[in-house]
Amino acid sequence: MDAARARSRELFRTLAGPDLTDAERTVVRDELVHLNMALVEYCASQFYGRGEPHEDLVQVGVVGLLNAVDRYDLSRDVEFSTYAVPTILGEIKRYFRDSRWAVSVPRRLRDLQQNLRDATAELSQELGRSPTARDLATRLGVSLETVVEGLESSNAYAALSLDSESDDTAPMLDSLTAHDLRLDDVEVRESIKPVLDSLSAHEKQVLMLKFFRNKTQTEIAAELGVSQMQVSRLLNRSLAQLRKALEED
Amino acid sequence: MPQVELRVPAEGAYVSVLRTTTAALAARLDFTLEDIEDLRMAVSEAAAICLECAAEAADLDVVFDLGEDTIGVTVTTTCDAVAEIDEESFAWQVLTTLAREVTATPDGDQLRISLVAGATPLGAAR
Repeated sequence: MDAARARSRELFRTLAGPDLTDAERTVVRDELVHLNMALVEYCASQFYGRGEPHEDLVQVGVVGLLNAVDRYDLSRDVEFSTYAVPTILGEIKRYFRDSRWAVSVPRRLRDLQQNLRDATAELSQELGRSPTARDLATRLGVSLETVVEGLESSNAYAALSLDSESDDTAPMLDSLTAHDLRLDDVEVRESIKPVLDSLSAHEKQVLMLKFFRNKTQTEIAAELGVSQMQVSRLLNRSLAQLRKALEED
Repeated sequence: MPQVELRVPAEGAYVSVLRTTTAALAARLDFTLEDIEDLRMAVSEAAAICLECAAEAADLDVVFDLGEDTIGVTVTTTCDAVAEIDEESFAWQVLTTLAREVTATPDGDQLRISLVAGATPLGAAR
């Protein structure tokens, strides 16, 4: 891992140099992509189980990686991996938003889901709490049944907003919900149950607060009396174990 | 107190049906979206725990007791043997965090898990 990082840094220095022919530039970019494929794999696997083949997401992710390679500036005081991940994730999310919906969701439902999202955001602001289905029905001028149908079909009860962009990887992880990781899918849970149960008490608490209470890493850190860095580490370790267990299935 | 009953095969595929019904009922009782989500997850966990011990061809019997601003949910299944609840398990931790008055009662070859969820009073912030 360190070798890849060191080599990447070398290659970025080369890219920044003058007198690079197009052919040379292409070779350097290709090697940078090759060296950093692990980032794409990591990002693509965040979207596991959403109905898109992993390979397709990887292809989309590579586009994001290429963008990051082209835009990254060594003079910035940030690691390339930290810089690249949000770009790659953004590309994949965009892919979901643009392509999947057109294919699989009826227009009526798509519009309803969008209206529900907007109304939920507005009402949450106005009321200082999350709205009820009745609140939403009144605001949108539709029946309660319609609202319930719309909420259910978009799994909007969970607080995920696919549209939230961010420059920071921590909030990115923060926006993942139980549904994203299929933690609410009983059949998936069966296969990861041994891993879940073998987690330390701390790891279990962090996972639970994050995915079932939708707390941010900062909030979890405060609640458990540890640093946000520790929460991040616990989370990443647990997720890595879970992902491994899911992939082996 | 009105009651709603649901019986589904004790198989993972049917738990989503259970979640949908739970959400629909809670929505009608004016639970907020956050409270609905908590209840959905709690019922899902209770079902998952039952599924672990459920016998072949067993069912999940689910009863919803609809109060003014509470919902009581009881999930019952028939197990292979006397059920043992692992309170260290992830599922149990989630369940006891998301719902109130959680009880798991092995009763011969039956396992009954019940929980209560309350709606956040609409005047208060969460």
